[in-house]
Amino acid sequence: MPHYPEGTVRALLETDLVTPATRAALEARLVSQADYAPQFFDADTYQLLRAVAARVFPQPDRETPIELAPNVDKRLLEGRADGWRYDAMPPDREAYRLGLGGINQAAQAAFQQLFVALSAEQQDVIIGQLAAAEAPGENWQEVPQDKFFEEMLAELAESYYAHPLAQEEIGYVGMADIPGWTKIGLNELEPREPEAYG
Amino acid sequence: MPEEETLEEGTLTPLQPEIQDPLLREILEENDLQADPSRNPLEQPAPLPDPTDEVDCVVIGTGAGGAPLLARLAQAGLRVVALEAGPRRDPTKDYATDEKAQNFLFWNDERLSAGHNPVAFGKNNSGTGVGGSTLHYTAYTPRAHRGDLTLHTDFGQGVDWPFQIDELAPYYEEIEHFLGISGPTPYPWDPTRRKGYPLAPLPLNGAAQLMERACGKLGIRTSPAANAALSARYYQEGIGWREACTNRGFCQAGCNRGAKASMDVTFLPLAESYGAEIRADAYVTEIERDASGRITGVMYEQHGRTVRQRCRNLFLCAGAVETPRLLMLNELALNSGQVGKHFMAHPGMQVWGTFPEDIRPYKGIPGGLISEDTHRPKDADFAGGYLLQSIGVMPVTFATQMVRQRKLWGQPLRDYMRNYNHIAGINILGDCLPHASNFMELSDEKDARGLPKPRLHFTAQENEQRMNRHAEKLMRQIWQEAGATDIWAFERYAHVIGTARMGRSGDDAVVDPDGKAFDVPNLYICDNSVFPSALSVNPALTIMALSLRTADKFLLQRKAAG
Repeated sequence: MPHYPEGTVRALLETDLVTPATRAALEARLVSQADYAPQFFDADTYQLLRAVAARVFPQPDRETPIELAPNVDKRLLEGRADGWRYDAMPPDREAYRLGLGGINQAAQAAFQQLFVALSAEQQDVIIGQLAAAEAPGENWQEVPQDKFFEEMLAELAESYYAHPLAQEEIGYVGMADIPGWTKIGLNELEPREPEAYG
Repeated sequence: MPEEETLEEGTLTPLQPEIQDPLLREILEENDLQADPSRNPLEQPAPLPDPTDEVDCVVIGTGAGGAPLLARLAQAGLRVVALEAGPRRDPTKDYATDEKAQNFLFWNDERLSAGHNPVAFGKNNSGTGVGGSTLHYTAYTPRAHRGDLTLHTDFGQGVDWPFQIDELAPYYEEIEHFLGISGPTPYPWDPTRRKGYPLAPLPLNGAAQLMERACGKLGIRTSPAANAALSARYYQEGIGWREACTNRGFCQAGCNRGAKASMDVTFLPLAESYGAEIRADAYVTEIERDASGRITGVMYEQHGRTVRQRCRNLFLCAGAVETPRLLMLNELALNSGQVGKHFMAHPGMQVWGTFPEDIRPYKGIPGGLISEDTHRPKDADFAGGYLLQSIGVMPVTFATQMVRQRKLWGQPLRDYMRNYNHIAGINILGDCLPHASNFMELSDEKDARGLPKPRLHFTAQENEQRMNRHAEKLMRQIWQEAGATDIWAFERYAHVIGTARMGRSGDDAVVDPDGKAFDVPNLYICDNSVFPSALSVNPALTIMALSLRTADKFLLQRKAAG
């Protein structure tokens, strides 16, 4: 699988190949959110969400992982939606409360501990149950776990791949578009497009 | 909500305020004013429009349905005002080349998606802002075929349109030349057209080349597609020069060059050059009528205030969810029982694969290549047909769709996404038959304005399922032939169609063949809601054609009436 050099997007943000609006959007995400204080979730639930996000997007390769929980907290606080919701799902705030609670219930059922207290391997067992829609817990009577997992996964994936470091990881440099692209066919690269190794 | 005393004598507004007690309403209104000074009329710099000021036409919505007719009516010398729920932005400064930052282009008020195949809204197919959904459409602009309008005649299923394709053809031609469509001439699946496309096709990107190569081996004809993005600089009446597309691949998240023919850089400036007024951030809540049932004006909310605009005629062009929602909220044009009914969504199944070649799917017009050999497949076990297209994709859109389908998480998720630059997709755009069990209704859940959220029921029926099976098999073949590994399919539905259908009789349709409501003397509807059937092509070009035709029919009738 392709690997790309680090620093590509960050270097492009320093150039005039990126519009000011694009630079502003991407640079804002480079500011570390490790110290983010939750405003919607209580402290325990927020740490639970962080722990879940860390198994969905494990980042052992990064000293400071990309934080995915702050965007969820901010969105729920502001009550923002993305235009639709499965009718089978409760409203987003309720869905997250119930779903995260259900994850703790599944952790208790399997390991008699809260999710945050489990080892990474044990946490993966619980996420695996959730992904297969087989996690135990009474909350799943109120929120369908397959849809909850799908929605949470999509939201975390949006935050992760919108991050400049994640874009460096997959070799995406589409933001550097001021000159446009002339080499667009198969195996055609412009000088500002990084080549893969490995 | 407007206060009772501001309503004029003889005006019927069936929409009741949430709170019935006048004193309580007054108190709450005062509280609101104190809490939010921007809502206080004294704080507002702009004067209230004169409530007695009556314009010829109000147009609700500035997308593909509203913008062309707005320009036409303004050109005819009428006094016209367009009301757009979303803001007016400057794409050259305000748009970022970043998917998440562009989420403001989408209609993000929550809709409830029900049925066995709940349809995604928001970025999938609903826009807001001056230009409507054309701000984020892919710019794919194939014409409908003759047979798309005669499904019932040809298959005994679905419904026929109340007119033939010949009614639309002159408008297709006019729009293609006005917008500057880039496409192949002659068009392989319709070679006898009177005029070709004004510009040569856009160049093919990696996904398009892969599809072209594989289809060639399988005996499937392909061609560079017709796209509403300029392959060369183009001069346009009312606007001036528009610059050519630079292959930045960002059509679905907004073009910052004016190369893509969204309404904000084409029909809307044309309309304004003829004196049309476009009011942004104007969210219509009420449609007012007199005792005879004639529309007298609309009420809208703008910057925290409620404003009335009186009009002689109303054109409702708010799209296939907000149009029926407004009709239902106002108990308007409901006699046929068809408002909200026969909601359709195009089967848009995608097939993805991983290739050894470097593709970089963020470059080039996303829908570069087309095949319409599947318009009426010989081995079909379904009515209608579909088109095939190659697809480029941006990373966030790809990742979020992919995880919904494949449920990848953990290291496998990060590993798979590392292949992004080597992934290419194809998809279909297929006809969808109208079905009684697919419909829109108002739910009990309220939005931030206190209005009921819409709930849309959609279940792919036998015909759509058969089409999906046919298409998935064929697309998997194509991608195998192209050399893909790790091939997977994503069943999805795109575009919002139906819900205020056009027909010959007020017993089973909301509007007549001219787009005029059967029940209301001065109401026209023009957007994808009036489509009697879904068509086997992307809807934007046909909506624009209907829009010009609706304006012309209105002007003819007006002239005849003296």
